[in-house]
Amino acid sequence: MKGIVFTEFLELVESKFGLETVDTIINDSDLSSKGIYTAIGTYDFAEMLSLLTHLSTHTNISIDDLLLVYGEHFFDVLAASYPQLIDKYEDPIELLSSIENHIHVEVRKIYPEAELPTFEIISKSKTSLIMMYKSSRAMYNFGLGLMNKTFSHYNAKATILLDKIKEDGTEVKFSITKN
Amino acid sequence: MSSVNPEILQRALLREKAARKAAERILEDKSRELYLLTQQLKEANEKLQSGLTEKTTELQGVFDNLVDAYVLMDLGGNIIKLNDSAKELFGYDVPKESINVVKLIHKEEFNYAMSSFNELIIKGSFSDYKARVYTKNKGIRWVHINASIIRNGTTQPIGAQGIVKDITDQRAIEEQNKKLLNDLAKSNEELGEYAHVVSHDLKSPLRSINALVNWLREDYKNVLGKSGLENISLIELTLEKMEHLINGILNYSSLSNEVVLKNEDVDINGTIKDIENTIFIPSHIKIYVLQTLPIIKGDKTRLQQLFQNIITNAVSYIDKEKGRIEISFKEKETHYVFQIMDNGVGIEEEYFGKIFKIFQSLGNNKNSTGIGLSIVKKIVEIYKGEIWLESQPKVGTSFFFSLKKVIL
Ligand code: HEM
Repeated sequence: MKGIVFTEFLELVESKFGLETVDTIINDSDLSSKGIYTAIGTYDFAEMLSLLTHLSTHTNISIDDLLLVYGEHFFDVLAASYPQLIDKYEDPIELLSSIENHIHVEVRKIYPEAELPTFEIISKSKTSLIMMYKSSRAMYNFGLGLMNKTFSHYNAKATILLDKIKEDGTEVKFSITKN
Repeated sequence: MSSVNPEILQRALLREKAARKAAERILEDKSRELYLLTQQLKEANEKLQSGLTEKTTELQGVFDNLVDAYVLMDLGGNIIKLNDSAKELFGYDVPKESINVVKLIHKEEFNYAMSSFNELIIKGSFSDYKARVYTKNKGIRWVHINASIIRNGTTQPIGAQGIVKDITDQRAIEEQNKKLLNDLAKSNEELGEYAHVVSHDLKSPLRSINALVNWLREDYKNVLGKSGLENISLIELTLEKMEHLINGILNYSSLSNEVVLKNEDVDINGTIKDIENTIFIPSHIKIYVLQTLPIIKGDKTRLQQLFQNIITNAVSYIDKEKGRIEISFKEKETHYVFQIMDNGVGIEEEYFGKIFKIFQSLGNNKNSTGIGLSIVKKIVEIYKGEIWLESQPKVGTSFFFSLKKVIL
């Protein structure tokens, strides 16, 4: 997993819960990186999982909710770093339906080692989109956060329903309807 | 912040330091990678570049070794480039020497050159320009030029190029051939005329002999007696045959004169009718035209002569009680093939080749001079055809001949 996902995550933890929490979850997790992350490095996804689990115990917030908030935060990071990728689209539905065929394709060109999910489009109209999320990392709520922020970026609102096709969350159906 | 445990701060600081170093190392690796990549790109680029130069030199080689002369000029006619052949032909070492094409044009062909140049500008090219040029070391040469405009991109003309062939020697040979042919035609004509004159000259003493023999018979009828009169008759017959022969030669010698050949529509059906009215056909011989014959382009007199000679030949060799002569034809892609069949005496195969030769007469027939079939052969040859025959001795003969449809 890309270092920027870790550094942004820890920064978010620090700003919400303080440096002590950051220190605690790093110490509690047995990390081969010893919690030393740089945005331009690449690290084991298991470390992210471990950090999330310990944060969840420490704060009593579910991992799902943590990921949702983090996803919302991460959209701002992406929008700041890759405005040209996002500005290509005039509509949130258009943007979301292009993750698989355009956005993440470009991401892979910049970071060949990136671990990306797949978003398979099941149906699409001007105001609605049904996609199947598939990833061994089960970060569907991170995706939900990104999607929420995608709509607010365009000053739009949407109802997004999640339907876990697999219990462990590695396959989730997103039903998005623009309001 | 102030309430934060210093140990935690220290740990955070150490992490940040280590992260910075890690980042620096990653960036360091990346720049090395980039450097290597740049290096590789440079090498690839150099290879491409040298490949290009190789191609260019190769092209230069082709250009230099072109057998024909190649001339490149600007629109003002200033020569920019000459390949080796062109340098050799014109004798100028461009670009060391500068030369304008106008200077190379023969003064008598200036107008032709200018109109060709106009064509080049308007149409973008000209071909088959044949004219004389002045060269530095080789005097006046005849050249053949194909030229085209060179454009900048697709529109703007920037120059012209031409492939120049030295056709001086070729022209000399052509001229010589033309002269030879002319000479040949002339001597042929002279020969024809000679034969004509000789036959004429031979004819008048023949007539005198004929008249004298006649007088002899009239004046000495009683003295000569029966056998003497018979001999006189034999002399007259021989004289007649001799006249036929001379007429034949006259005919034959006038054949070669192709200039007087007409090219008109000849209805062969009419031709056959004319022949039936012209020659003597005994009542026991009938001519059957099996189909409507074609109308062909040619000289009416010659075509009649052709058919007439074969038919006459057939008539004279028919020995059956009921004689048949059948005429038919087949249309082929380029030729008409006629067949004239008779039920005459037939010809042994060994004579097939011989009969078309002049003065070859098979039987001792008074009407046959041995010239008829050679005239036939000659006419068929004029019409780019062939003649052949099939025959069974005692049963009959078929003559076949082809005539080319259109004589150009
Ligand atoms: C400019 C737009 C975007 C960029 C540049 C981008 C880039 C990235 C990057 C760099 C990662 C991390 C890969 C790794 O750690 O190896 C990632 C992960 C992810 N992205 Fe995007 N992304 C974009 C938009 C989106 C959007 C709109 C969604 C909406 C659902 C999305 C869904 C995800 C998810 C769910 C992951 C987590 C990995 C997983 O679930 O396997 N991305 N993306």
